Amino acid sequence: MASAIRGQDPSAGAAPVAPDPSAPLAVSAHGLTKRFGERRALDGVDLAVPAGAFVSIFGPNGAGKTTLLRQLALLARPTAGTLAILGIDALEEPDALRPRIGLISHRSMLYGDLSAEENLVFFSSLYRGAPDRARIDELLRLVELDHRRHDPVRTYSRGMQQRLSIARALVNDPDLVLLDEPYSGLDPHAAELFDDLIARARAERAHRTFIMVSHDLDKGFALCSHVLILARGQVILMAEKEGLDRDAFRELYLATVGMGVA
Amino acid sequence: MASQPHRAAPARPSAFAQYRALLAKDLRQEIRTREMLTSMVVYALLVLTVYGAALAQVGDAIEVVAFAGGLLWALIVFTSLLGLNRSFAHETESGCLEGILLAPVDRAVIFLAKATANLIFLAVVECITVPLFFLFFLSGAELAATTPLIVLPLVVGTVGVAGVGTLLATMTIDTRGRDVLLAILLIPVIFPLLYACVSATSVAFMGVAGTLGTFWTSLAMAVAYDVVMIAAAWGLYAFAVEG
Repeated sequence: MASAIRGQDPSAGAAPVAPDPSAPLAVSAHGLTKRFGERRALDGVDLAVPAGAFVSIFGPNGAGKTTLLRQLALLARPTAGTLAILGIDALEEPDALRPRIGLISHRSMLYGDLSAEENLVFFSSLYRGAPDRARIDELLRLVELDHRRHDPVRTYSRGMQQRLSIARALVNDPDLVLLDEPYSGLDPHAAELFDDLIARARAERAHRTFIMVSHDLDKGFALCSHVLILARGQVILMAEKEGLDRDAFRELYLATVGMGVA
Repeated sequence: MASQPHRAAPARPSAFAQYRALLAKDLRQEIRTREMLTSMVVYALLVLTVYGAALAQVGDAIEVVAFAGGLLWALIVFTSLLGLNRSFAHETESGCLEGILLAPVDRAVIFLAKATANLIFLAVVECITVPLFFLFFLSGAELAATTPLIVLPLVVGTVGVAGVGTLLATMTIDTRGRDVLLAILLIPVIFPLLYACVSATSVAFMGVAGTLGTFWTSLAMAVAYDVVMIAAAWGLYAFAVEG
């Protein structure tokens, strides 16, 4: 796996891998519900995400996108429903799954006073006990921060921090990568670099699955293999992008945004 | 790879290795920034200055010795509050705590590492401020032979404050006005510990013949409090940190 990164040409390695229809499901959810008091942030969500897919989740503010992602990241338990990730019951065996999930958020999840290397060593130690130095070196090269590896993260630009957060999310070599509005606060150039890194992370392993929450319809649509629209905590549409009419999708999405939230 | 997309789950690292990584991270950050230690030591010095003004009119050193235990523990509790409030600042700034919770780390290990880091920081501050307390307020007094025994309630009390304080600081991370809320929660919860430690410390300072039994009883109460409350904090930490 690690060798897949080594020496990769950025443009050559950027080709996304098409999901294998015969592959087992990366995520399978039935009736997933999350209540906060009387409010249902998720209301009976059913999901079937094939391994290797790139799912972009769209929806208006308060639709339950981030809540759904937090359930998938095992940061919160659903109130009701079933959830299997990578063939494992996520509610029964969350600890077996945690080493196989990575999360990239609009927050970097990095310690500003530690260097890039120290951050990756720390997070790697949590997954492996002892840090995987070879993996850390490769990831720092992948995100092109090798030359700044000893500098405190607080001295990095927002784009650099976001690149390093990709390395942090991949330090455990996850099978499922979750992205929560990762383009938030990035300038166009930094967003372009980020696109390239995501493509490389997709190319790194054929069955690595990505699920991204995005407000950017164009960006999310361009990257994905599947689209999902959430509104009022419910799945309005989940479909393969192939064969989907982009304009019709945009209209549906805009109509959904017009629905507002419950 | 294509025929086997779902790999076997990797082996879980040892809890001790994770504890060591979490603790080393907290210590490294503090050594680099000195944010928590500096603010706690400065605050403690300010409290000592206020004590100096408050006690300026007390001419009799014996009277100071009589309530030195209470003064010392007031200093420790208020300084601890400041440090505990700061102890999660780095974790919440960029969502780092979520980064830790994503990893296969037993939540009790996170508690133990954070409580150990807080204990170390409180101990360092006490090593600086307690001698200053003696220098400023007890240098003219004739100290009892039992005075060195104050180390015992200091150790037991600091362990309890660090343990319970870590749990409560975690519970108040995402609350509005968490600084005040932590104080409102911490002081009533640690009151039995505080009472026992003040009692033991005062007896050690006074050194009155025949009162050493009170010292040991108070110390035993403080130890029992630590055992019960830290065990409870250990068990409850997953609920506190995962919200």
